[in-house]
Amino acid sequence: YNVHSGTEISHTMDKSITLPPDEIFRNLENAKRFAIDIGGSLTKLAYYSTVQHKVAKVRSFDHATKVNRDDKLYEISVQEEVTARLHFIKFENAYIETCLDFIKDHLVNTDTKVIKATGGGAHKFKELIERKLGLKVDKEDEMTCLIKGCNFVLRNIPHEAFVYAKHADSEFRFQTTQPDIFPYLLVNIGSGVSIVKVESEDKFERIGGSSIGGGTFWGLGALLTKTKRFDELLQLASKGQHTSVDMLVKDIYGGSYGSLGLTGDLIASSFGKSATADKEFSKEDMAKSLLHMISNDIGQLACLYAKLHNLSRVYFGGFFIRGHPVTMHTITYSINFFTKGEVQALFLRHEGYLGAIGAFLKGAEEDNPNQYSWGENYAGSSGLMSVSPDMNPMQRARSGTFDMLEMDRLERQLVNLPLLQDPSSYIPDTMDLTEDALAREYWLYCFEEALDGVVKRAVASQPDMPEAAQRAEKFRQKYRHKLQTLRQQPL
Amino acid sequence: MLIGRRSARNSHTMDKSITLPPDEIFRNLENAKRFAIDIGGSLTKLAYYSTVQHKVAKVRSFDHATKEAASDKLYEISVQEEVTARLHFIKFENAYIETCLDFIKDHLVNTDTKVIKATGGGAHKFKELIERKLGLKVDKEDEMTCLIKGCNFVLRNIPHEAFVYAKHADSEFRFQTTQPDIFPYLLVNIGSGVSIVKVESEDKFERIGGSSIGGGTFWGLGALLTKTKRFDELLQLASKGQHTSVDMLVKDIYGGSYGSLGLTGDLIASSFGKSATADKEFSKEDMAKSLLHMISNDIGQLACLYAKLHNLSRVYFGGFFIRGHPVTMHTITYSINFFTKGEVQALFLRHEGYLGAIGAFLKGAEEDNPNQYSWGENYAGSSGLMSVSPDMNPMQRARSGTFDMLEMDRLERQLVNLPLLQDPSSYIPDTMDLTEDALAREYWLYCFEEALDGVVKRAVASQPDMPEAAQRAEKFRQKYRHKLQTLRQQPFAYGSLTVRSLLDTREHCLNEFNFPDPYSKIKQKENDMALKYYQKAVKSLEELSWEQRQFALVRVELMAFISCEHPERPWLVDSYDQWFERLKGPPHKCALFFVDNSGVDIILGVMPFVRELLSRGTEVVLASNSGPALNDVTNGELQILTERIAAMDPVIQAGLREDRLMLVQSGSSSPCLDLSRLDKVLAMVVRERQTDLVIIEGMGRAIHTNYYAMLSCESLKMAVIKNSWLADRLGGKLFSVVFKYEVPAGKPSQHSAALSPL
Repeated sequence: YNVHSGTEISHTMDKSITLPPDEIFRNLENAKRFAIDIGGSLTKLAYYSTVQHKVAKVRSFDHATKVNRDDKLYEISVQEEVTARLHFIKFENAYIETCLDFIKDHLVNTDTKVIKATGGGAHKFKELIERKLGLKVDKEDEMTCLIKGCNFVLRNIPHEAFVYAKHADSEFRFQTTQPDIFPYLLVNIGSGVSIVKVESEDKFERIGGSSIGGGTFWGLGALLTKTKRFDELLQLASKGQHTSVDMLVKDIYGGSYGSLGLTGDLIASSFGKSATADKEFSKEDMAKSLLHMISNDIGQLACLYAKLHNLSRVYFGGFFIRGHPVTMHTITYSINFFTKGEVQALFLRHEGYLGAIGAFLKGAEEDNPNQYSWGENYAGSSGLMSVSPDMNPMQRARSGTFDMLEMDRLERQLVNLPLLQDPSSYIPDTMDLTEDALAREYWLYCFEEALDGVVKRAVASQPDMPEAAQRAEKFRQKYRHKLQTLRQQPL
Repeated sequence: MLIGRRSARNSHTMDKSITLPPDEIFRNLENAKRFAIDIGGSLTKLAYYSTVQHKVAKVRSFDHATKEAASDKLYEISVQEEVTARLHFIKFENAYIETCLDFIKDHLVNTDTKVIKATGGGAHKFKELIERKLGLKVDKEDEMTCLIKGCNFVLRNIPHEAFVYAKHADSEFRFQTTQPDIFPYLLVNIGSGVSIVKVESEDKFERIGGSSIGGGTFWGLGALLTKTKRFDELLQLASKGQHTSVDMLVKDIYGGSYGSLGLTGDLIASSFGKSATADKEFSKEDMAKSLLHMISNDIGQLACLYAKLHNLSRVYFGGFFIRGHPVTMHTITYSINFFTKGEVQALFLRHEGYLGAIGAFLKGAEEDNPNQYSWGENYAGSSGLMSVSPDMNPMQRARSGTFDMLEMDRLERQLVNLPLLQDPSSYIPDTMDLTEDALAREYWLYCFEEALDGVVKRAVASQPDMPEAAQRAEKFRQKYRHKLQTLRQQPFAYGSLTVRSLLDTREHCLNEFNFPDPYSKIKQKENDMALKYYQKAVKSLEELSWEQRQFALVRVELMAFISCEHPERPWLVDSYDQWFERLKGPPHKCALFFVDNSGVDIILGVMPFVRELLSRGTEVVLASNSGPALNDVTNGELQILTERIAAMDPVIQAGLREDRLMLVQSGSSSPCLDLSRLDKVLAMVVRERQTDLVIIEGMGRAIHTNYYAMLSCESLKMAVIKNSWLADRLGGKLFSVVFKYEVPAGKPSQHSAALSPL
């Protein structure tokens, strides 16, 4: 990868706040079909590009025209091959101008005339984008993009969906890809909440919604705590005690309300204590109470709509959820409470990219992206949770700024082996290292130990190329970094 | 009503009620038993059962064997004391609880009472105080069970209990007619939190859902945001605010509507969404309004989803968040309309605040079988709806915000629907809803006020032997005038305002001051007079040809109402020809005849008509009032009259002897007629005898009520309109005649060609 500008790149991801743009916006030379999704605080950019790979090809010797010079069975040659790749980059809206400038400077492909745009911020930045890039901004319906993107990741990325369990051995339990992803319920928690029933690739309906969403947490939280940043509000909430603000069942009845099946610890009235108590409440406690109130409410609504429409798969997304363990936990708790475990709250690894992916797909329909299978390129993609506030601060500061996803178009369309007894429960891997800490330790150690050998093998495979050792070293660094990341974030 | 020794002490002017003497509030304490108390967060509701002594007028034939008829009077009238059961419900602020308990202790005479049933969140807090003050054992009852029991009770026993709220309509309140079957329904109780309860039968209910975002959340978050600590003040703030300055609307995000998703631009996308990023101060009013919308919409949506999931169409809302607050009733109604697109209506209850107390009381009174009786709201002793509304004029609010009362009388007879109603669930007795018709309301309130002097005079004149009658009559005047004034300001105070409710309220007030039957002597005189002409009248009818007689019977029947010349046909409503054609056909199996006035009407109008029916081979059931109302003939009077007529008339005598003529009481004491609340015995007789004709006569029963009533058998409504305003309304003039003969659609009789209803 990085065929052309490889040497310029510093491969230490740690410095990525000052990450050179060419590390982020890769393969811009051949980029086409731009799409952009501008949310309240983050911009997601998508483009399609081609990459040149060296591929090793084998060929039988042509016995007719050529004499067999040695005793080798077949000939090996290294060729250049061009494959398609989708790039998705996420950055804060603050960087949008810098990013647009960089893209303009490096965009070689002049066929591109249009950029697809979606998201609430699209019209706000329309003029800027058109001026900077010289491309016509073509607005796409937000919900349509979101659903298209969601369908795409569910179909193409194995282990896209996961269940969150805060206190389990592994916080994340990934779901195997279902042969049929439809129908499902998507609960998008942005400023407000949209509850969308998706029945097929092109058929979806917003069956419900609520004005009590992320904006309400943020807005009420800001008024109550004077804390203006969403992340900080979540931080406050994660430290608070809701029981000092909320009125519990036991505060009214002295214990549980047995005949109605209500336990004493159940919240009877959110903020019920602040109605009459003449005291100051801590910011943390109020933020926590607010978080519970909103998560429970959304959870209940989601369950009711799921039941009414007889849907068992419910995915949650939107900025309220996006990579925040705190909100994933409260939503999961709420869903478990209201459905008594019948419905699971599912989250998506690439939830933040759905709109951008969808907008891109809308613009790329002539390339028939849905006819191919795509695979996530682990080398070019940031991992899940890189924006979590609970991560170690250094790491957070780094990747909160930029986040990438790259997907390679696979040469062949991939499907299930028709002989699988139950495709929906088939799990290829025998051992799940995410859930088995001992095994994980062992295997990560193994792969690290083996790395030297692999590097040697790589160099030896290209005796004719003097820079092979240098490239092999870069490989070693990148892979070791990935291993280190996986040790900290096994997901 | 206050009887005996203390009545003289009572000031009956409700206007002073902040300093209202406790004996005005806690009435009939002497005989009180079965106490129940529901202590909420701020209000206490006390319930007790008591007995009241009424004076009732009884009629009795003179005992001719042992006594010479002292005069030429037909029968004897005596005033007797009668004891009836009454339920008292009193609501007051928790602050008054100690004073109230003291008062109760001092006046409680009945020593059988050992226990007080208690419910509500505050019950355990005040347990010790109650036990010490009253010397009664506090017996806790489950809050939800009490709530549901109370809800079932009011839905079954109080007509116009439930209403729909429509802020901008001509009438804010649209009352619902009582449904024959109240189950199943959804009760959404919005207290501190929200409980959503599915009620399937008297004893079967389930809390199917709930939410922690309720009244306590509005109050608690509101207090934090606005530093306003009182719930009422928060609602006041909210009613003045603009939510759009705090909420993020769809148009704030998309510049307009989001058409492809069907979201209008004004829809709230995110409650408090603007306060997330805007660096400005928001007004208390705006924040309170936004909060109110947020909570109401959320509850509305949850209620709709649960209603849909459980396939329920009746959703009642209650709890302190709703109780008498137009602001919250409006936002909840709006939310329900939005989420169900009008498929589900938000229903509210007039006596919602009393449900817990009523339920607790019923739990304690199960041995008295309160559910086996029918109960009626006593308008004289009950405060009206909305007396606690913050929107009322301040004086009124200050007055009745403190104490609020509901009294229910146990009715002697169990009341049920007339089995012949075409569709009991859509039957509305009253022809005109004065709550919705401002002009009509003005007119009738004025009428009743004008007529008040006459009623007072009549009341005094009815008790010539009692020197304090004038004083009592004066108290009656004040009470009824006050009710009329209240109704002018709050037409919805007792459900839909109708001519019937105005008449009934007057009867309740008269009873209250021991004027049980001001017309008894007049009725007696008129009956006596008319009876003298009976034989002559029958004879002259007999001399007519059959055809002439049929018309004469109708004419005479209608003539009884007026003294002037009889209007010529065609009448205002005139289906006499169809009726006449019908009479040529086979006789009816059985006719149910709701009678009206004493004197000429019953004796010279109705009886000859009955006679003709009997002669045709039709059985007749005569239904008259159980208790007195104006000059209407009561069941007791009619018994005596019929006996006397039977002595003169072999046809009537044979009818009685052969049980082809039967007298039943209607169960009512009203000059009007509610066919959904009739004596159970009457309903049974109607069914047994396969009644196929219903005759209703008189203005009160055939015009003010039942004018549009649809029956499942043939019906005949006869009246003369003796009120020029009403005649004008109906397109006629004074003394217009209504003769309405109807055959239900799909039931053509033998003479179908001639029988199409008018």
